[in-house]
Amino acid sequence: MTQFGLPPGMARLRSHLGVIVSGMERAVPYAAALLSERGGLAIRVDSREERIEELPRTAGTVLTAYDGRTLHEAGVGGFDLGPVERAAVSLVKPLSPVAGPAIDPGPERVGDFVTPMEVPPASLSTQEKLDRCRDVQSRLRRMDGRVINAVVSYREMTEISAFANRTADLAQQVQRVGMNLSAFVEGPDGVRYNYALYGGTGGWELLDISDEELAKLVGVAIELLAAQRIEPGEYTIVAAPWVTGTLVHESFGHGVETDMFLKERARASEHVGQRIGSPLVNIWDDPSYPRGFGSYFFDDEGMLAGPTQIVEDGIFRRGITDLYSATALGLPRTANGRRQDYTRKAYARMTNTAFARGATPVSELFSRVEDGIYLEMWYSGMEDPKGWGIQVTCHYGHEIRHGRVTEKIYAPVGITGYVPDVLASVSGVGDEWGLDTGSCGKGHKEWVRVSAGGPHLLMKARLG
Amino acid sequence: MFDAITDALRKRTDLLGWTLRQVTRRGSQLYAVPGAVESVRDVTEDRYVIDVLRDTTVPGGPPSAGAGNVTPLPGADIDAAIDAASLHAGLVHNPPYGLPGPASLPGVPLLDEALCGDMAGALAAAHRRLVDAVTGEAGVRLAAAEFFAEEKSVRLRNSRGIDATQRGTSLELEWVLLARNGRAISDRSGGDRSSGDEVESYVQMRRRRLADLHLREVAAERAGWARDLLAAQAPPHHAGPVILAGSALAEFMDCGVIQNLGSAAAKFAKSSTWELGEPVFREPVRGDPLTVWANRQAPYGAASDLFDAEGIPSQRLLLIDDNRLAAFSAGQRHAAYLRIPATGEFGVIEVAPGRTAAADLRQGDLVEIAAFSSFEADDVTGDFASEIRLGYTVTGRRRVPFKGGLLIGNYLSALADATWSRETDFHGTYLGPAAVRFQSLTVAP
Repeated sequence: MTQFGLPPGMARLRSHLGVIVSGMERAVPYAAALLSERGGLAIRVDSREERIEELPRTAGTVLTAYDGRTLHEAGVGGFDLGPVERAAVSLVKPLSPVAGPAIDPGPERVGDFVTPMEVPPASLSTQEKLDRCRDVQSRLRRMDGRVINAVVSYREMTEISAFANRTADLAQQVQRVGMNLSAFVEGPDGVRYNYALYGGTGGWELLDISDEELAKLVGVAIELLAAQRIEPGEYTIVAAPWVTGTLVHESFGHGVETDMFLKERARASEHVGQRIGSPLVNIWDDPSYPRGFGSYFFDDEGMLAGPTQIVEDGIFRRGITDLYSATALGLPRTANGRRQDYTRKAYARMTNTAFARGATPVSELFSRVEDGIYLEMWYSGMEDPKGWGIQVTCHYGHEIRHGRVTEKIYAPVGITGYVPDVLASVSGVGDEWGLDTGSCGKGHKEWVRVSAGGPHLLMKARLG
Repeated sequence: MFDAITDALRKRTDLLGWTLRQVTRRGSQLYAVPGAVESVRDVTEDRYVIDVLRDTTVPGGPPSAGAGNVTPLPGADIDAAIDAASLHAGLVHNPPYGLPGPASLPGVPLLDEALCGDMAGALAAAHRRLVDAVTGEAGVRLAAAEFFAEEKSVRLRNSRGIDATQRGTSLELEWVLLARNGRAISDRSGGDRSSGDEVESYVQMRRRRLADLHLREVAAERAGWARDLLAAQAPPHHAGPVILAGSALAEFMDCGVIQNLGSAAAKFAKSSTWELGEPVFREPVRGDPLTVWANRQAPYGAASDLFDAEGIPSQRLLLIDDNRLAAFSAGQRHAAYLRIPATGEFGVIEVAPGRTAAADLRQGDLVEIAAFSSFEADDVTGDFASEIRLGYTVTGRRRVPFKGGLLIGNYLSALADATWSRETDFHGTYLGPAAVRFQSLTVAP
């Protein structure tokens, strides 16, 4: 077991979890405990001011007792043994076992895990991080005289957790870093901006940003001063990796979270084993994907991370699960039970969700488009697992004419349509591939870190 | 611990100022799935947030200040935590600003006593009322329901002498109604449901007290929507009047465009081009004049308070007066930078009612949108293209439901050509007209 140094309070309480869990299991058929601490640092540098802030910090213990029908939980702030022991006693006191599906505690598993990093954030002083942000901001601002503000937002997020049930004793330290860049420009019709996102699980090695990337970011911001609204209608589109990822995330990501199956809110539950898209469609979710922004070693319900093939050659194979929905529905568990923090319940949630890489050179995808739109950057998305509608808004899109991307730019560009129609229209899958960084809510709450991505896709969609 | 941290802060000689908040939360949560309660949870949290301000002026340089913060965990070394915040504050060199001083606090009702006692019992009772309300509606059934209740108290003390406390309750609800066409089959919970096309109506509510939930009325409205969705047609091509009402209007007004462009932070960062005393619209106003308040004093408003995280007392800030920007909403820092009064966080968005009856807004051929997938507008440009979950094509007295398609336009252009109802409504974070008619927006399939 690797000792990475749990915070002292958490380490002390961890040593008592086995006793606490076994004590609760004298009253109920299944019990578990999760210790969770989340926090980090944010640095913002723009042309007018600078900020260094500790990210909102949460630290607490989740005690879970399952009576055969309901998960009863207590979320206790901090890691003091006394309050946690008392909460465990109070939690199970009114409970007794009832008939219902049994929770499988899983195989024996013990381990401590830590994110591998080349340049751990902890190895740099705050001054060094600030100086690095200042350097990127300065380079971004100097790209063009029309930049009225350049913003660098750096975040490092540390999640430390320990989980115990009768077969598991696990701990992990997951380190995420992210850097968001924005350039604001002003023209006669107002202010426009462009942005880019960088990061993943790891250290500062993920934040090496070239001048070419900065120049492109600013160049698009300036192009957006002349942006038009697109004429609504059906278009042939080429979706860049991040737009591909957002489409996947909102359709066969949220749509296959099996807590939504249990709630009868997901149409996908009626299509297991059925064709839902072109044979070119392959979609997976994988919390063990190296450096993915949504990666971890085990989920908040003690399931060790591993990949799930959601769609294989256009056939929907399986969803991603949390403990309760997997148990209630009799599904094999996947490592997707995630909480916003200790104050919230676990749901089936995405981690790193992607469309698999194809073999077609990207240039060939464009060459197949006589008249279409290249969608490069997403802005927002919303799921509709019951109706299989799509709402993805792209920050901008460029015209494609005769196989070439032109300077004509539209903004914003909304993608709408019916998920199976859109996935059935996929006619080309590119050979370049990427993952973005982001946050994902369940509806309008329950925020967790995720990534989404894929290759360039050639497809049809309704835009407006 | 509050007094111990205060004592430690008072001993510091390296700080220009400090703010200490103790945030205590006690919550209950209930999660229901068809035929079962999936989970019940009780949550407690007690945390301390320290903000510090330092003079970072370098010899010979202009005056500058830096801020830092820390959340020490129980049992942490308090001095070490303050050192960490002070270190961060010492690294940045922003124009100086100060902290708010003591001021009288308004009397804003934030607390539902009925919720504070047996919180879990109150949630269970509310869930039963919802189940009963839905049972009374034909052709629909309740799928998921999530009920969150919380009592939160904040004590704030700062180096200028503020020592204030506020206590409030909050409720967050999400629930889903399902309706289905077709023959009856047995569902997992033993009841009957139908196979065939099934649709959902999703409800999200944020309030401070149980009495503002109006579960029976909302259930009736959403049951009607669910039944209408079963008959929904493809979205129309439409360019012309569009009505928003109820929760769809609240979502539209709460989307963040006015909140961003009307903020001193955005003005200072140059992402807002609004100017005090100048029109907020680029084009001529053809509809009703727009008057907006950033209101932290709305009784039981989900975003109301007595004081904000800096200790600035709440107010009902006239933000836009007859189409002109009357004030920026400003925290202490950006207020100082722009030399304007500090007003604190934004709060509830309140819009002045119009003079037209809601029924009269619905005259003629138009589209009415009942629900968006999620209304999103670019908070700098105001451009939007948002998917429609449920809309109605209205031709005279005929209302034909449709699903899908995009509502396309620009937020400010839409508000410049809008007619507001005289009836008003309250939706937690929105207070104002119950309906609006935008004269010229586009719906595209």
